[in-house]
Amino acid sequence: MHVVYPVVVSALLFSIGVYGVLARRNAILVLMSVELMLNAVNLNLVAFDVWLGDRLHGGQVLTLFVIVIAAAEVGLGLAIVLAVFRTRRTVDVDRLRALAEVVRTPEPGRPDGEGAS
Amino acid sequence: MTAVVALIVLLPFAAAVAGLLATRLGTRDVRAEDVRTRGVGARDARTADVGARAERAAYRRAAWFAIVPGTVSAALTVWLAAALARGTPATDGRFWAELLPGRTEGTLTVVETGSVPISLTLRADGLSVLAGILVVVVALAVQVYSVGYMRDEPRYPSYSAFVSLFTSAMLLVVYAGDLIVLYAGWEIMGLCSYLLIGHWWEDRANSRAAVKAFLVTRLGDVGFLFGIFVLGLSAGSFRIDDVLRADLPRGTLVAATLLLLAGVAGKSAQVPLQTWLPDAMAGPTPISALIHAATMVAAGIFVVARLYPAFLAAPPTLDVLGVVAAVGMLGAALAALAQDDLKRVLAYSTISQLAYMAAALAAGSDRAAMFHLVSHGAFKALLFLCAGLVIHHVGSNLISHMGGLRTALPVTFWTMTIGFAALAGLPPASGFFSKDAVLSAVEHGTGPAQPLVYASALLTVGVTGAYAARAWLRTFFGPARIEPLPEPPPGVAHVFDGREAPPSMLWPAGVLAVPALLLGLAGWAAGVQVEWGPAAASLAVALLGAGIVYALWRAAPEQDPARLLGPFRAPCERAFYVDAAYAALVTRPVLRLARGVVRTDARVVDGAVRGSGRATLGLSGLVRLAQNGNAQLYVTGLLAGLVLIAVAAVVLT
Amino acid sequence: MSWLPIALVGVPLLGALVATVPAVRDRAVAWGIAVSAGVLVLAVALAAAFEYARPADMQLQSDRPWIPGLGLRFHLGVDGVSLPLVVLTALLTFLCFVHLAGHPPEGGRPGALVVTLLVLEVGMIGTFLALDLLLFFVFFEVVLVPMYFVIALWGGAARRAAAVKFILYTLLGSAVLLIGLLVVWTQAGTLDMVALAGRHGSGMARSAQILAFLAIGLGLAVKTPMWPLHTWLPDAHTEAPTVGSVLLAGVLLKMGSYGFARIAIPVLPEGAAALAPWLGAFAVAGIAYGSLACLAQRDLKRMIAYSSVGHMGFVLLGFASLTPVGLNGALFANVAHGLITGLLFFLAGAVKERYGTADMVRLGGGMLRRLPYVASLLTFACVASLGLPGLAGFWGEMLALLGAFRPVAGLSRPLFLVFMAVGGLGAVLTAAYFLAMLSRVTHGRAVETVPLAGPLEPPEPDEPSGLYEPPGPLATAEGVREVLSEAGEAAKPVEPVAADAGQTGGQTGKARRPFRDVTAHELAAWLPLVALIVLFGLWPKALLAVTTPAVQSLLGSGVAP
Repeated sequence: MHVVYPVVVSALLFSIGVYGVLARRNAILVLMSVELMLNAVNLNLVAFDVWLGDRLHGGQVLTLFVIVIAAAEVGLGLAIVLAVFRTRRTVDVDRLRALAEVVRTPEPGRPDGEGAS
Repeated sequence: MTAVVALIVLLPFAAAVAGLLATRLGTRDVRAEDVRTRGVGARDARTADVGARAERAAYRRAAWFAIVPGTVSAALTVWLAAALARGTPATDGRFWAELLPGRTEGTLTVVETGSVPISLTLRADGLSVLAGILVVVVALAVQVYSVGYMRDEPRYPSYSAFVSLFTSAMLLVVYAGDLIVLYAGWEIMGLCSYLLIGHWWEDRANSRAAVKAFLVTRLGDVGFLFGIFVLGLSAGSFRIDDVLRADLPRGTLVAATLLLLAGVAGKSAQVPLQTWLPDAMAGPTPISALIHAATMVAAGIFVVARLYPAFLAAPPTLDVLGVVAAVGMLGAALAALAQDDLKRVLAYSTISQLAYMAAALAAGSDRAAMFHLVSHGAFKALLFLCAGLVIHHVGSNLISHMGGLRTALPVTFWTMTIGFAALAGLPPASGFFSKDAVLSAVEHGTGPAQPLVYASALLTVGVTGAYAARAWLRTFFGPARIEPLPEPPPGVAHVFDGREAPPSMLWPAGVLAVPALLLGLAGWAAGVQVEWGPAAASLAVALLGAGIVYALWRAAPEQDPARLLGPFRAPCERAFYVDAAYAALVTRPVLRLARGVVRTDARVVDGAVRGSGRATLGLSGLVRLAQNGNAQLYVTGLLAGLVLIAVAAVVLT
Repeated sequence: MSWLPIALVGVPLLGALVATVPAVRDRAVAWGIAVSAGVLVLAVALAAAFEYARPADMQLQSDRPWIPGLGLRFHLGVDGVSLPLVVLTALLTFLCFVHLAGHPPEGGRPGALVVTLLVLEVGMIGTFLALDLLLFFVFFEVVLVPMYFVIALWGGAARRAAAVKFILYTLLGSAVLLIGLLVVWTQAGTLDMVALAGRHGSGMARSAQILAFLAIGLGLAVKTPMWPLHTWLPDAHTEAPTVGSVLLAGVLLKMGSYGFARIAIPVLPEGAAALAPWLGAFAVAGIAYGSLACLAQRDLKRMIAYSSVGHMGFVLLGFASLTPVGLNGALFANVAHGLITGLLFFLAGAVKERYGTADMVRLGGGMLRRLPYVASLLTFACVASLGLPGLAGFWGEMLALLGAFRPVAGLSRPLFLVFMAVGGLGAVLTAAYFLAMLSRVTHGRAVETVPLAGPLEPPEPDEPSGLYEPPGPLATAEGVREVLSEAGEAAKPVEPVAADAGQTGGQTGKARRPFRDVTAHELAAWLPLVALIVLFGLWPKALLAVTTPAVQSLLGSGVAP
């Protein structure tokens, strides 16, 4: 199998991930898109590992590494999403503007507490 | 001999320093001691009395400081004149060569400036001794006169000190051997003039007059300084001898002398810078006698005479001077005819007489100019001192408040009559001879403007006779118009109860009357030619002017003979609206410009500074807009940047 | 190798450090007088050790490695150009302390003010002594911080804005100056001023010289200040306390003009020749503009500040002529302006202290009646400032105009003649605004329209006066406590003008008490300035003999007069 097939698949996968991160409004879907990008990288790593015939299989080792990191990241990310949902009753990233210089439209009836610090 | 010259100049200066610093030194101790001996309890009650005694002590001491150095200076000047008269004749043959042939010069030090050096040089020759005698004699007379005139004046010590400083500055001008030294004296005189005109500064009008005098003369002085630059840098030296000896191109000389003329016009109150002199009459009357008649205003004429070879080599300048003199003498004489203030009459007459001297200089005769300068210094100082006596008696400056004073003030009447006779040019008073010398010089002048100058001079002789007669008649003859005046506020001449002023005021006037009467005869005896034909003609013109006024006055002694001017009287009284024109053309635009500058400074210049601050804030506000809190936008920006870098890397490599 | 220059910088620095010790802080002003007197003695010793036979040479040098890796040296020394300025600085600082002894600062905390002023003195003297470009720059910058605090802590009502404007403006100028100095370094390879001045620009390309002159000139022009970079000055002067104004006008402005004489013109002659017409044009614009601005001012201190713009215009005009006589005039005017404007600000401060305002309209008139000595001295200072011959102000202006009359070959003569004429008119305007001010303030009848300001100066000069203003926002709690404990029972914060007659009566026991004329401390601080103004006016050779050979060597032998 020529290396171009897995690379194209991975590129598509990565692009879908990028699109998801940039465009989706639901925080959980954004997290899933990040996973897609990570998996695209994993696919690349494995494909090039095979294609280059690396004796140390660095690509496969790195893939395992990324999977572990991704698992930790998802755990942390979902916890944050859960915490945000508990305080704000929403996981819409467009409405989470606590990082802005001046909070123009604060949540009605909600003091803007955790974002500022 | 130079040491004597230095002493003559420095003695009044030392008197001024002592007068300013030392008059109250001891008196304060006296006061403190007095208080101590009488005990603290009596302090409040006696303070006023002790203060008055301290004032009197300061007054006496200031009078000594003023008079003693002046007397020594005068004696030294006479000695210097005698020494110079014995000197060997110089070869340059200026007009004083026969009379006072000697000369002396001494340099204290040479100040290197990196360019033309300044030498602190004093020199004395016939010309400077001639002017120097005039200065010390008039200054001494004024100091003695002031002791009486300024009695009960709390600021007499500073007044007499400023008069001393002024005398010193004028003597510095007279004896300067270097143009920069001359300029220093020249400017210090301006300052003293400011301080003395503004002596009664409680009145805003006096203060304004003082500021005006300083500013108008300083405007001319800037030109004067630039003229000195031109002369000094072209000749490579500021020493007067070197400058006069240097062979300078004609263009340079014309430029330099025209610039010098600006300063001369300022100091000698010639057109177009004459407006300060009438206002300067706000000062005490002795000051008018000293500064605005006999000495400071003469400085301009003196400087032209001092640098006369340079002026002679620049005929265009002399033509300008002639025209200026022609306009000034007639205009000022007409203005004098219409004034109601006795001192202003004399002030305008000063402008007119100075214009005579300028005309003589323009016609090429520095001898006639200096002759008239000395005789005018004597009789004008006399006139002012007498005017002071009259004003003292009447308590008012206005001629319309005077009249019939002949019997009340016999001494003043006779001395002032001599003064007016000299002013009008009646023989045998000095003015007759000196004015005749000027007229004959103008008649023989060769410049293109000379006919105009001569016509103007003859007309002015008539007008001078008229205004002299008017002032004389309305002051001393006719019905008495003295009304009991209320006690004047401070800042106005004090009214005496007695008939005549104290002797300390009468004596200086009497002494000055002698040269005013006899100086012309002395000059004639010393060799000044008198052309009897033109002299008789000018005498006739003067008598004609005086006669018309007399006829008018005889017809109606109550009325002002100035009515002969008819509708022309108002412009004459306002001195042809020159003041108003300057206010409209110079003063107000400058003030408007100043306000504009302040506005510009706040809005534009400082606005740019503050604007740059605001612009920075605004710019940062724009950038802040991007930070809207949407993390996805940030990531999009990151990606865009990444893509940009990648593309750039691909394209550029 | 001489220890004098190092001592001149070190003594005030040590003094400042010691003054922070609490035991000394209680008697801080006395300590300040002692230290600054010591510095003055050192400066006089420097002047005495100076060999007047060769004022053009750098003397009493002290040259040690500073940062060897960069080739920087701690190089100090004096010649005829810097010697008068060093002595002037030491003198003015000493006089400021003397004045401070009788007139404690309105913002309280005299101890902190003493420390600040001593640090200021380190920077000022160091600037005039430094012979290494980077060392010069360091001292030049050292001055800014203490001056900022002097204005921001002890200033008037709008002090914060003025202080921020001052420091931002001058820091910006310094940044440009640093760029220029670095250009010189990269082009010439050395930072040693003596070596650079000795080369007279050889080895540097013309374009680089112009660029460097532009940058250095801009940096110095902010400090001088040159029109139109002057707007920080009136605000800073108006708000600064008296001692701050005196040092600002008397010394800080001189640092800018000294930089022109020491660095910009000798090191970069071709750049100077190319940009001199611009410098001259801005200088005369400053003369005319400053004088006109003075004519319409209401505030006495602000007017004097604008008059500095005009006077420094004469200094810059002298530099722009690039002739020895012009430089001489500029240096003379520099020293004279330091003396005269220092005196003027002392007097303006005294007036403001007594009347509670410096607004000419509210001052009324008749000061000659109410405060005869202060008003007479004010008249003297104004007359000196307007350039009367016989007083110090004249010679500098005259020589600067003389320089402009015949600028160095290569500069357009007609252009400079126009500059000279405008400068001459500016001199008339200078006389106009000073006389108008004198007429307004000292003449006329005294009108009791001005409410008497707070408690007047108590008869016992050592007794601290009341605190007139609430402490500034920068004051810490500790500072407030310190101030309150010092001020004693008079600690009730009172706005100066708002103090009514009742309060005054309660303080002094007598309502409408006449103003107190000069105090002993004021006289002690003013009379040396008066004496020097008269001395330099009557005997200009005292200064010119020192500067003339120095400027001739700075300009190089190729420059004919």
